[in-house]
Amino acid sequence: MFLARSNFVAFILLFLFGLYIMMTHKNLIKKLIGMYLVQTGVILFFITLGVKEGSTVPILFLDGGPIQASAYANPLPHVLMLTAIVVGVATLGVSLALVIAIYRQYRTLEEDELFRRME
Amino acid sequence: MRENLPALQFLIPFFVAVSMPVMGWLRPNWCRPMALFSLLAMVCASLAALLSILDQGPIRYPFGGWIPPVGIEWVQDGLSGVVMVMVSLLALVTLFYASPGVEKTLTAKVVPFYTLVLLLVSGFTGMVLAADLFNLFVFLEVVSLCGYALVAVAGGRALIAAFRYLILGTIGASFYLLGVGYLYAATGTLNMADLAQRLPGLLESKAVLTGLVFIVIGLGIKMALAPLHGWLPDAYAHAHEAICPLIASMMTKVPLYALARIVFWVLGLETLLQTHAFLYYMSWVGTVAILAGAFLALSEQDIRRMFAYSGVSHIGLVVLGLSLGNQTGFAGAIFYLMIDAVMQAALFFVAGVLLYRYGIRQVADLVRYGGRAPWTMATLIITALSMVGIPPTGGFFGKWVIILAALEADHYVAVGAIVLGTLLTLAFFVRFLEKMLLEERQNVQEQSGETPWPMRFGMAVMAVAILLLGIFSDPAISLIQDFASPSGFTK
Repeated sequence: MFLARSNFVAFILLFLFGLYIMMTHKNLIKKLIGMYLVQTGVILFFITLGVKEGSTVPILFLDGGPIQASAYANPLPHVLMLTAIVVGVATLGVSLALVIAIYRQYRTLEEDELFRRME
Repeated sequence: MRENLPALQFLIPFFVAVSMPVMGWLRPNWCRPMALFSLLAMVCASLAALLSILDQGPIRYPFGGWIPPVGIEWVQDGLSGVVMVMVSLLALVTLFYASPGVEKTLTAKVVPFYTLVLLLVSGFTGMVLAADLFNLFVFLEVVSLCGYALVAVAGGRALIAAFRYLILGTIGASFYLLGVGYLYAATGTLNMADLAQRLPGLLESKAVLTGLVFIVIGLGIKMALAPLHGWLPDAYAHAHEAICPLIASMMTKVPLYALARIVFWVLGLETLLQTHAFLYYMSWVGTVAILAGAFLALSEQDIRRMFAYSGVSHIGLVVLGLSLGNQTGFAGAIFYLMIDAVMQAALFFVAGVLLYRYGIRQVADLVRYGGRAPWTMATLIITALSMVGIPPTGGFFGKWVIILAALEADHYVAVGAIVLGTLLTLAFFVRFLEKMLLEERQNVQEQSGETPWPMRFGMAVMAVAILLLGIFSDPAISLIQDFASPSGFTK
């Protein structure tokens, strides 16, 4: 039953795995890896929404025949995810910049050590 | 002109933000006047838009002429008109307040600072005007990214607060996007008006319900709705004192507005009253948030953390007002949203002056305060009166209307929570003012010079705004009821 929707199962696993990494790992870079997995999970979820077997890109061939909507994939989720990827890249950029600044200040990226040095 | 106003309000700060690095390179002295001037122009544009809306109804702006639901559109109706005026005015005053502190302590970062602030304000504009769920997500992230960077500007511990904010904020954004995906999968549309037509028949669908829950969780993290407020106290307590008022006054309020927009304009009131459970649970979340925020504020020793938690309590109050399901509650909640934005700005103005001039961070340090700063003192007292809810101030009327709405909805626990929250607020302000006024002064640091006049001006404007919102609360609330309420409320 679950395997009939294996694409959704895959996205849920990625999403939860990302959340788990973010919560349990003490290293800031590992937290960011978890964050990126969460974002990728959501992106894959949108992509699977637009997938249709045996369909093609929505460019109409005007050869006179009637247009068959079922022959074309819905491009909107993919286009949305282009934007979401850009947002993800920007977030990752800002977060890495923050990590660099934290490292320059405290010379460590381990959370426990960080809190000790903050005192 | 009228139909271009929504885009214009976005483009003014955005264009100046983008040109700011070039400006900073050619004429560094022009940055501050340019930033302030662009926000002033934005205030004028948003006022013009509001007047035009009151006169002729909502303004719709389809981008590139593509008609929705195919194209993306921005809609400025009564509610977004009012919120836009609030956002642009607060941005102008808080930036004016921030400029001396920033130029003195962040000299090397002035250009990025103004760029980020203007980008933040244009992001708020996008969030307020977007009539499309995905567009809202994009601007939510623009706002959040600027927010992370602005919190981190101060360096030191602020970096770690900003990192934490980024992690939690990204989880929030991912949940929101996931919720949008569920709704899109169920309905095939992202346009809010189009969704509002398609959703009522689909409420049995588990995908729709799950999507809505994810959207509420996502926006709940962004608006620091207790118990999802983990990022907020540290971010506010360690951010640079000049930036704090800007972030504190709007960072949580605009996502709250977005939630109101989705709940009342996308789901629609009829659906909400039929299913009932959604508003019911939301009212309990709001009640818990009021009490949690107030108790946490009382237990804090750090002034800015204390103010931050009082903000968490007020977010709960607004959510409670929205979830009562009657028009009085809606109008009261939107009014309280505005007065709370003003109060948070005023509180962090005061906290900023205390830190900037006297180096005071903790409540216990307030005994060092020399007691000769009439502007700070007057603003603090007026804001405290409003936070507690004493009649001539705006805070009283907001709370009063929400209590009336709770009685109308027979939600007596909520009334009790509001009253208890008020008493707790009173308790922490009594502790605050006692340290400041009654206890003997120790180690008073004589300060040379005066508080820079933009800071005094900012505090005075906020104090006057709190009083004016109190005196003119009746016309303001009836304006919200007549022009900014969703359809379907029984009068």
